[in-house]
Amino acid sequence: MKYAFYPGCVSRGGCPELYPSAVKVSAKLDIELEELKDVGCTGAGVLPQYLSDPINARTFAKAEAMGLPIMTICSTCQGVMSQANYRLKADPEYRTKINKEYLSEEGLEYKGTTEVKHLLWVLFEDYGIERLKSLLRKPLKGLRVSPFYGCYIRRPPEAITPTKELNRRKNYLDELIEILGAELADISGKGKCCGFPILTANEENSLAMVGKHTGEAKEKGADFMVTPCPLCHLNLDGNQPRAEAQEGKEIGLPILHLPQFLGLALGFDPGEMNLKRHIVSTQPVESKVSMLT
Amino acid sequence: MEVTFKVYRKDPEKDGKPGRSNYTIDIPEDATVLDGLLKIRDEIDSTLAFRASCLRGYCGDCLVRVSGRARLSCVAKVTAFTQKAPEISLDPLRIVPVIKDLVFDWDAFMWNKIRAVQPWLEPKEPASDGENLIPDAAMKDLRKVMSCYYCGMCDEGCTVLPVDFNFLGPAALTKAYRFAFDPRGKETRERLKILEEPKGIWDCVHCYEADEHCPRGIEPTKRIIALRDLAFKLGITNEKVARHHKSFAASVKESGWLDEGRLAIESEGLTNIKGLMKLLPIAARAMARGKAPIPYLHPKRPGADKIKKIFEKGEQETK
Amino acid sequence: MQEFDVLVIGGGASGLRAAIAAKHAGAKVALITKIHPLRTNSGLAQGGLNAPLGKGDSPESFAEDTLLAGDGLCDRDVVRTFAAEASKEIIWLERMGVPFNRNGEGRIDLRPFGSNSKSRTCYTDDRTGHIVLQVLHEQAQRAEIPSLEEWFVTSLVADGNSCAGAIALSLRSGKLDSFSARAVILATGGFTRLYLPSTVSLGTTGDGQSLAYSAGARLMDMEMTQFHPTVFPRNPALLITEAALSEGAVMVNQKGEPIRLAKGLSREKICLSIHNAMQNGGGSVSLDLRPIGKDKLLSRFPQTHELVRGLAGLDITKEPIPIRPVAHRSVGGIETNATGETSLPGLFAVGECACNGLNGAGRLAGNTLTEAVVFGRKVGDAAAKYAKTASKKSFPSAKLSDEEKAITALVSGSSSGGDSSGKIHADLGRLMSEKVGLIREQAGLQEALDRIHRLKQRYRALRVRNTSRIYNYELTTYLELGSMLTLAEIVAQAALGRTESRGAHQRADFPQKDDRNWRNHTLVSLVQEEPRWDQKPVAG
Ligand SMILES: Cc1cc2nc3c(=O)[nH]c(=O)nc-3n(C[C@H](O)[C@H](O)[C@H](O)COP(=O)(O)OP(=O)(O)OC[C@H]3O[C@@H](n4cnc5c(N)ncnc54)[C@H](O)[C@@H]3O)c2cc1C
Ligand code: SF4
Ligand code: SF4
Ligand code: SF4
Repeated sequence: MKYAFYPGCVSRGGCPELYPSAVKVSAKLDIELEELKDVGCTGAGVLPQYLSDPINARTFAKAEAMGLPIMTICSTCQGVMSQANYRLKADPEYRTKINKEYLSEEGLEYKGTTEVKHLLWVLFEDYGIERLKSLLRKPLKGLRVSPFYGCYIRRPPEAITPTKELNRRKNYLDELIEILGAELADISGKGKCCGFPILTANEENSLAMVGKHTGEAKEKGADFMVTPCPLCHLNLDGNQPRAEAQEGKEIGLPILHLPQFLGLALGFDPGEMNLKRHIVSTQPVESKVSMLT
Repeated sequence: MEVTFKVYRKDPEKDGKPGRSNYTIDIPEDATVLDGLLKIRDEIDSTLAFRASCLRGYCGDCLVRVSGRARLSCVAKVTAFTQKAPEISLDPLRIVPVIKDLVFDWDAFMWNKIRAVQPWLEPKEPASDGENLIPDAAMKDLRKVMSCYYCGMCDEGCTVLPVDFNFLGPAALTKAYRFAFDPRGKETRERLKILEEPKGIWDCVHCYEADEHCPRGIEPTKRIIALRDLAFKLGITNEKVARHHKSFAASVKESGWLDEGRLAIESEGLTNIKGLMKLLPIAARAMARGKAPIPYLHPKRPGADKIKKIFEKGEQETK
Repeated sequence: MQEFDVLVIGGGASGLRAAIAAKHAGAKVALITKIHPLRTNSGLAQGGLNAPLGKGDSPESFAEDTLLAGDGLCDRDVVRTFAAEASKEIIWLERMGVPFNRNGEGRIDLRPFGSNSKSRTCYTDDRTGHIVLQVLHEQAQRAEIPSLEEWFVTSLVADGNSCAGAIALSLRSGKLDSFSARAVILATGGFTRLYLPSTVSLGTTGDGQSLAYSAGARLMDMEMTQFHPTVFPRNPALLITEAALSEGAVMVNQKGEPIRLAKGLSREKICLSIHNAMQNGGGSVSLDLRPIGKDKLLSRFPQTHELVRGLAGLDITKEPIPIRPVAHRSVGGIETNATGETSLPGLFAVGECACNGLNGAGRLAGNTLTEAVVFGRKVGDAAAKYAKTASKKSFPSAKLSDEEKAITALVSGSSSGGDSSGKIHADLGRLMSEKVGLIREQAGLQEALDRIHRLKQRYRALRVRNTSRIYNYELTTYLELGSMLTLAEIVAQAALGRTESRGAHQRADFPQKDDRNWRNHTLVSLVQEEPRWDQKPVAG
């Protein structure tokens, strides 16, 4: 089982704890990763399509040449790439145009065969839940966990959930929480936006969203929240103190990256998963985990 | 069949407190929710207030929440909601000021916001006496957008509106799209300027909720993104956003990747001392935890020059 | 009291166009409407609107078709003006932003429609009304015309022998207010809700015709109610645009045999063919849209596809849709000349509520929206001009308190023995469809009149139980029913009077057209509380 790995820059930049934990967890699961190195940022929904589609087409072409599907660890990377890939696959004319104008110079061509999958999808769709279960060393019994997907890993449907079968993607994180032995502390905002994309344009609204989602999880008795999206993490974790100040309430909800969450259940110790690097203290989680046998 | 309608009530002429009335009525199998409501108002409780006009799903006036889901009551079949029990609940939308019962304030919810985007075409001077000669492809897109029946379901589903009711919202921004992308209009730049003000296009988190909620498949989120891409192309006028986008683009252009440290600082503006100070406590904490990336020491990626080329070409193309 | 030069009552296509024109002519204008403009009946129009823009077409040919559809009852000059000005008005709409479907040259595409002898119907898929209405509403906002929405006009106010304004109830605040105006334009739409089922929206109840009649203005050709041939009849009936027929759909009887139609048949004739097929075979008739082809159906009839699926649970790309003729459009209305002047000075009327001699005894498919915009502009202009020269009128202030008392008396809170507006309306609608419907005859019309009288008695005994004022829809429904009962009697009486068959008026007992005696318009007005019946010969 091998993937062309697209870690995304946040996993090394703003959330440097993510990259190593993803690599360690993948190794433990025997998922082989070959990192895509000379490719560009997806555009993250910030760059306009007319710039980001060619950049992404280039990435897909490289993976295609390696004969590998792409694995991501960022909902935003996943979403932006899924959408670009959808357009490029659905419209051969468009693909030809991009190939001709942007990729041919480098001798590249995207034929439209590359699959792009987030680690979360890989687990359910390629890896197999039974296999995952057989590797669990420390089921997270007694911990209450709220899911937070990030919008781009759930919508828009034509790119993310193109078939009825794949509609299940909207629920993977919920399922995983229970598979890893934890209890689901469901929240209504789990599929909503974390607020990160408007942090510059409207900070107040952005922080209000942080307060809303983390606050709701806290009310539902969550020990922590897990997210497959480092950008959500940046806002939900990094800006939680400011959200607390703005909304005038104490929250203190630790936010874990998906690989960290997996890692704990696979038996890594919190240190190996770099939990210390978060802004909101993960101490309570760590001590609960250390009590598990 | 007998069905119980559990209807949200509020009477501004009494105490104005929300309550609920239950009405059990006998209606045909294929009755719509509106059929039931009309029957209740006519035969049981004439004080019940709700709106309706076209009766057939053309007009959007009768939007209510049927057992939690926003629906046009005139086309929603009662039986679609009574599988479990012979009862349905009716409520106004979640985020609107309610006036009476199921009648809410459309002005505040949507019409005023639409008015704010200057919802009319400023036509260009005609080239000749006849109609404008335009390929149907351009018109088709506008017809799709104008199939909007102002039901507000996209606003009801929007992520931002519940935290900020003053956000213009997807319905109004979709209306704005129709003018910005009409080849017969002038002043696209002026129009974008209005949309770029606070509470406009840059406040949208592009979460695609609106697309999921629109019953007409108009894809409001994609319309908003198209407006943003257009603004990017023509030069963003919202200063904060412009700095952020410029820095983002510059970073990717130079190195193939995003330099978040640079992004944070440049977004606030290099001369905006106050803004930078605000970053400090976080930056300091983040730094202590080895989390904050150090700006401007961001390494170039292999392939960066290729990305740069794509950039230059793309920028050229859209000129 | 609020004061304006021109007060436009009604926010459909004709009202919006009139308001824009009056504003451009320099008048101080306001628009008042009982529902939001974008929710009005105009938004239901599907197929398109006519203009002789095609290469082989001409205003003369367009006029000829309109005259044919009117079956000898059109006023020629009005038709000629209309046909001559239609193209200009459609081009204006195009410039203001209507995204008409285009042909290969990028020109407005013209679809064949109804009994038009040429392709001359401009369209936006099958949502023409909805989109034209939006553009008019946009331009009204651009012209900064104040729009009073959810205000229900309860009466017109006269100063001596001229109209001085109106009184209206704000649904939102529950308060009555008076609006003085030098000129009042009624653009309140039709009255087809007299019939159940019918193709129209909930508020298409003839308020304007009834208001004008009560204020002393004359009504004309009220017996003419057009039925639409291709309607899925479940209540509320869902119209399937006739454009489907022109683009290849076929009608089939219960055995699946096609019902052949000669080309260019008028709506009335198609209705009669369906009626006959149903009588003869005793079975149902369906419309099979599949011959149009799936792709074209989905691209040109998206709304029909969506609505039929939603309301009927049927898929037009897969199966035929049961249809029958259903009451559609009032052809008669408030008598006006070509610039909208009614018999009451200062009162203008336009659109479906008006009857200016354009439509005669039947209406050419695709003419109503064109009529709304062509005459909307003309009448708006004329009203603004009139307002400039008319002397200031005095609005009798006692009227407001009188109205207040009248409404308070209605709203008594006491129940009335289980009867209700809804029940009376249901009985009326069925009665009109059966006895004053597609085919009429003397005994049935007599019976209808008797029964309408009894319905009126029930109505008079009825009181409004809901004593609250804010969004009191029982009250507005009651007032609308009052208008409908007034008009129902007039329609039945006018139908009884016209002893011939012509256009939308078909008498089983007088199956022939009688040009010698009946090239006349039927007129009626209220004189000293009694209807006075009259006739006038067709002009030109
Ligand atoms: C299903 C359907 C399909 C059609 N298809 C076509 C077509 O393809 N082509 C075509 O040309 N025509 C078509 N028509 C006809 C056309 O849509 C209408 O006849 C026309 O739009 C009428 O416009 P209007 O402005 O006169 O009235 P309306 O649009 O009915 O507007 C009336 C206005 O008056 C207001 N009003 C009424 N009473 C009061 C009161 N008491 N106080 C205050 N305000 C009041 C209402 O609120 C409304 O704003 C169709 C009609 C229907 C129903
Ligand atoms: S989408 Fe975000 S995380 Fe992914 S590569 Fe681009 S900037 Fe980095
Ligand atoms: S995409 Fe934007 S406008 Fe649409 S629902 Fe999300 S935040 Fe609201
Ligand atoms: S865009 Fe769609 S959801 Fe939004 S108001 Fe229009 S029709 Fe309704």
